[in-house]
Amino acid sequence: MLEQILQSIKYFQPETALVVSFCLIVIADLFLKKRNELTSYLALIAILITAYFLVQQGTVGTQSIFFDMFAIDPFSLFFKAIILTSSFFVILFSIYSKELQGRPKGIGEYNALIIALTLGMFLMTGATNLLMIYLALELSSLTSYILAGYTNEAKDSSEASLKYIIYGALSSGIMLYGISIIYGLTGSLDLNTVHQALVLQSVNQAALIIAGIFIVVGFGYKISAVPFHFWTPDVYEGAPVTITALLSVASKAAGFAMLIRFIKVTFIDPAIGNLGPGMWAVLRGFDWNFVLAVLSVLSMTIGNLVALSQKNLKRLLAYSSIAHAGYMLMGLVVFSNEGIAAVMIYFIIYLFMNLGAFYVIMLVADRIGSENIDDYRGLGYRTPLIGVSMTIFLLSLTGVPPTAGFIGKLYLFSALISAKVFWLAIVGVLNSVVSLYYYVRVLRNMFLRDPQPNAQPLHFSNMEILILLLLVVPTFLLGLYFTPIVEYAQASIGMFGVR
Amino acid sequence: MNLVDIIFYFFALITLVSAAITVYSRNIIYSAFSLLFTFFGVAGIYVLLNADFIAVAQILIYVGGILMLLVFGVMLTHKVINVEIKTGILNVVPGSIITAIIGGTLCGVFVVTDWFIVEGVPPIKSTTTEIGTMFMTKYLLPFEIASVVLLVALIGAAYIARRDKSKNQSA
Repeated sequence: MLEQILQSIKYFQPETALVVSFCLIVIADLFLKKRNELTSYLALIAILITAYFLVQQGTVGTQSIFFDMFAIDPFSLFFKAIILTSSFFVILFSIYSKELQGRPKGIGEYNALIIALTLGMFLMTGATNLLMIYLALELSSLTSYILAGYTNEAKDSSEASLKYIIYGALSSGIMLYGISIIYGLTGSLDLNTVHQALVLQSVNQAALIIAGIFIVVGFGYKISAVPFHFWTPDVYEGAPVTITALLSVASKAAGFAMLIRFIKVTFIDPAIGNLGPGMWAVLRGFDWNFVLAVLSVLSMTIGNLVALSQKNLKRLLAYSSIAHAGYMLMGLVVFSNEGIAAVMIYFIIYLFMNLGAFYVIMLVADRIGSENIDDYRGLGYRTPLIGVSMTIFLLSLTGVPPTAGFIGKLYLFSALISAKVFWLAIVGVLNSVVSLYYYVRVLRNMFLRDPQPNAQPLHFSNMEILILLLLVVPTFLLGLYFTPIVEYAQASIGMFGVR
Repeated sequence: MNLVDIIFYFFALITLVSAAITVYSRNIIYSAFSLLFTFFGVAGIYVLLNADFIAVAQILIYVGGILMLLVFGVMLTHKVINVEIKTGILNVVPGSIITAIIGGTLCGVFVVTDWFIVEGVPPIKSTTTEIGTMFMTKYLLPFEIASVVLLVALIGAAYIARRDKSKNQSA
């Protein structure tokens, strides 16, 4: 007993580092008083230490620790790397965000909570027990609620936080109900045991389907897929830009990791292997592919169509992130190794382009005090570097070659085509075309319209430009030289309990 | 229907009716007090399930702690008693149709489902020792993570509370 716990702690170093640094930042905040912006640097150090431990784990292979509560495997390591990178960038953004530094009183809590959010998302990627899944989800949701309402003087920030809490509480309640049904059917919360029980004994399919749908509500909320997306635009618009960026990338990555692991371990019979008519054998009479395909089509279409009429750039990117959740769900519909690898490749690229787009919004909003697309007119002439970077990010989000977004979409569509799901691929391509319109609308405002007569050129510090380049260069280069990320993603689909 | 069933339905009825009053009452004092019975009913169901520790914890924490704080908060807050609370019900017809469909499906499915039932378990005297051991062995990780969740919630609550103070000072 004790031996296994000690053994488990050895594999739990990244998470332990996060917990310890979370507590340290809270304590340091008490002592630093007037200089508590230093906690941002503490948080950066904490993330670097965690990254060190993560790299150490690269050679561990697959391990199940804490009595099958948590899995260490290439799959979770991959998503942890994504989450950690985006947390790193978001803390960097926060150091330069005028919106946050204008109110230094709570910046200690802010940094501590980002670390706690990272911990919650780490746990989401590896949880193999429904109890752990629920706890990890609650940890990341609770911290997100607080962070979304962080700049509380702004009325829409409080409103965002409240809307987030109400939707979050409802969907996690529904998910918990689904989990209780699974427990009632199989007598276990461990995903592997649940799978065994589902294979060996014949459970009532109707009850299992209801449980599955209820649990998908919880995941759907986290990845903001239609029809669980109603909170997304308001929260993305009202929350500080840095938090919006974190929610749109890291939170979504954690949600997808958890969804993939849940479906793959619980419902897919490893004996039959990937890709085959018997893949969903455990769930007779219910078409999971169809449910995921419907979610995917709805998310893409509604996300893109509503984005067409948006005037606020943050809100526009909120709808575009809903659409991107739809694109990535396409990879889940085929659920072959190829499809999952495509989703993972997409996440690497999505990390850079989406964080970059939000970073530009933050820089510009700090200077001109507006997120309206109309106020971006002539921005390309006022600050060419920002204009060109935003162009690259937006074209990449559309999926235009030679940017990285094209590679992401290419792998998603080719996974669909090799699984012979042509209709979904066509819907996806049509949606990309629609999305071109609203992304290009921003570009048109920046370059084809003259600036206001009294507009001044905008200036940025060297550090701000360096951070921008850290995001632009990968977005551009990964479109030309993408073999390493493709190989990394394909090597990382190994999951504990799945052969 | 044996005695256990009757007791179960009794507690379930208390829980549901008082929960409904909590939601629908226009007077916040009534809501707070009927919540007392909701918690009490749930504690009764825990006792029925042989979960003695959870039942006591439920009464101590929810009834003894949280609810008392809530009632004091309501009573000590100026103007809260006469304030008009908006508890309107919108979209009655589509709402009740959807509720009826979901509720009916759930009930229908649950009645025909063969639930996982463990038989031949020796009667348990006390669950407290067992729960303590489990927390420190098999459920160590969830136990520790739950403490992080609570710490985060505490910090968040303090943060949200502090905001109102600074707002009042500036006003």
